[in-house]
Amino acid sequence: MTSRRRFLQGLAAASLGPMPGWSAVGAPDFLAAALFPDGSYRLAGLTASGAVVFTLPLPGRGHAAAAHPQYAQAVAFARRPGTFALVIDCTSGSEVARLSAPPGHHFYGHGTFSTDGRLLFTTENRFEQGDGMIGVWDVGNGYARLGSFSSGGIGPHDIVLMPDGASIAIANGGIETHPDTGRTKLNLPTMRPNLTYCDLNGSVIEQVELPHRLRKNSIRHLAVRDDGLVAFAMQWQGDLSEHPPLLGLHQRGGTPVLLAAGDSDQSTLQGYAGSVAFSSNNQTVAITCPRGNSLHGFDVESGSFKAAYALEDVCGLGAGPDGLVYTTGTGQVGRLSETRTERMALSECQWDNHLVPVQTGI
Amino acid sequence: MRKLVLLAALALPLTAFAQDREPILLDIAQSHILPSYARLADTAQVLSETAKADCAPNSDALRAAYADAFDSWISVSHMRFGPSEVDDRAFSLAFWPDTKGFTPRALSRLIDDNDNAVQTAAEFAETSVAGRGFFALEQMLYDPAFADQGSAEYRCDLIRAIAADIAANATAIDTDWQTYAQSLTRTGENSRYRNDDEAMQEMFKALSTGLEFTADTRLGRPLGSFERPRPKRAEARRSARSLRHVELSLIALQDLALRLSADHPDVTEDFQAAFDRAIQRAQSLGDPNFAGVSTPEGRFRVEALQQTVSDIRRIANTQLGPALGIGAGFNSLDGD
Repeated sequence: MTSRRRFLQGLAAASLGPMPGWSAVGAPDFLAAALFPDGSYRLAGLTASGAVVFTLPLPGRGHAAAAHPQYAQAVAFARRPGTFALVIDCTSGSEVARLSAPPGHHFYGHGTFSTDGRLLFTTENRFEQGDGMIGVWDVGNGYARLGSFSSGGIGPHDIVLMPDGASIAIANGGIETHPDTGRTKLNLPTMRPNLTYCDLNGSVIEQVELPHRLRKNSIRHLAVRDDGLVAFAMQWQGDLSEHPPLLGLHQRGGTPVLLAAGDSDQSTLQGYAGSVAFSSNNQTVAITCPRGNSLHGFDVESGSFKAAYALEDVCGLGAGPDGLVYTTGTGQVGRLSETRTERMALSECQWDNHLVPVQTGI
Repeated sequence: MRKLVLLAALALPLTAFAQDREPILLDIAQSHILPSYARLADTAQVLSETAKADCAPNSDALRAAYADAFDSWISVSHMRFGPSEVDDRAFSLAFWPDTKGFTPRALSRLIDDNDNAVQTAAEFAETSVAGRGFFALEQMLYDPAFADQGSAEYRCDLIRAIAADIAANATAIDTDWQTYAQSLTRTGENSRYRNDDEAMQEMFKALSTGLEFTADTRLGRPLGSFERPRPKRAEARRSARSLRHVELSLIALQDLALRLSADHPDVTEDFQAAFDRAIQRAQSLGDPNFAGVSTPEGRFRVEALQQTVSDIRRIANTQLGPALGIGAGFNSLDGD
């Protein structure tokens, strides 16, 4: 693998030449997809202060994107069960490559790059078997498919690179779907979500499951802190008369810690968290809950609930220079400081799902 | 027409916009949910008693009792919240779809091990949900694979155990609904629903997910893709009940939709017509287990039925939802 990669690196350097980095497109802090008033879906580069530095057309409603760590390239995934993803040159909007899921696979809508930007990992469903898979793509070779390995569970959704650069964390949501039946959940009575850590070759390092009574809590989205603490956001598939925690923290080798607000706040969330992020000072972790129109903040150290903020259709969430940045389906870009939320910008568009961090510092 | 409504609305004080949900919630509880779960409990009890009297898989009496009880379940299976979800009761009644073949495996395991759990209701209730309920019983009654596996005596005990377990779960749901029904109309801070809007939303969700399940799963699974139709994935195909389930679910969902839209006659009218069309199409399809999806003509007919269900879904989402003031945002609807 190493020699092959070294070879490919040379190839990339030779054929592609110097590629523009993120500073060439206004140094966005995040990528986010949105629906615009003319009915078009676009991928936007957003700064942490809410400025839109570019927008590029997408062929349809996307889910998340992945930002290349060096080049100004974004991988935009179609909503699941999409079978393609576009690699977009954010300087021009042109399509650099088109990723097609291999026959029998579809994408789940999330992906992550290796630290050196040579490999892209994508969460996929091998749907006839109902197995979760991670696709591996060769960036330097025009995003050619290198292969795939098991995600360690069913229904992998979000995937993040761990700070060691040598492992990835995968949120196996546990829910089996098949493209023939749309988004119908086929295995709720037997679902068993997990959080899987594996190395970049797919060897499982550690797997975490929640207690049996929480096995209908689908582990969906992830954030990771510099020290490797993973935050996972969940979506409850059991009866909504129960209000289980929708956020968990896990450090490799440890036991997961679940975080929830008091029942009067927790019960308003409809069992659904959309995104999760750590604040820039690493002391706060938050989830967005679009069905409860609420953002919940927690103290990482103590795990205690700090506050709920009422925000209509809030979903995108990321670390900002001062606390957290959020987006809403009503067009808001806002920030959460220690004590309050503040609207920074209001766009004409409806911000979708997630804020994907762009590493501009490299 | 729309302008007239708007003018009339302008003449009313603002508070008039808050809809009084209670009569509709009461009506749905009293006339839609409670009688349906009572019928399920009764027919399931008959099924269990019939199995006690005659456990032969091809017994006409047993198969008829099975059909009655299963009909009752399909007619209420869209009411998936509260009592049906306690202890996985609904999943224990109906483990389907079974994408990984858990049901035949669970049954084979019980039979091969001569598992004593079949002798005690409490112990049987602890076994895998995949080996219990209507779909497990269907395989015991209709699948040749289980006609001669293990001893006849054990198979008989297993059939009786499944039937008794169905009756116990149906009775438990029915009993719990007697008190749960009040939570639909007595909403408040300490109740299951904090206000009538939330209770109404639960009813609306039952309608929309019920329609989705019939369109995407009951019809979508056997349809598969054009290149690869999947007739063997039809629901309850062994007992040739697949199409019947579509029809029964539509009839039950129509009843719910008409009650939900009672304050909006134009929506009621559209529902009435769309459901009538879909039910009529189901009744004239003549392909009980969707075996026809393998042929282009047969597939076309099932797709056409699926389309009529999609038409109903559109009315629910674009007319009933807004009329009831049940909206959902861009992200909260996405579900990803």
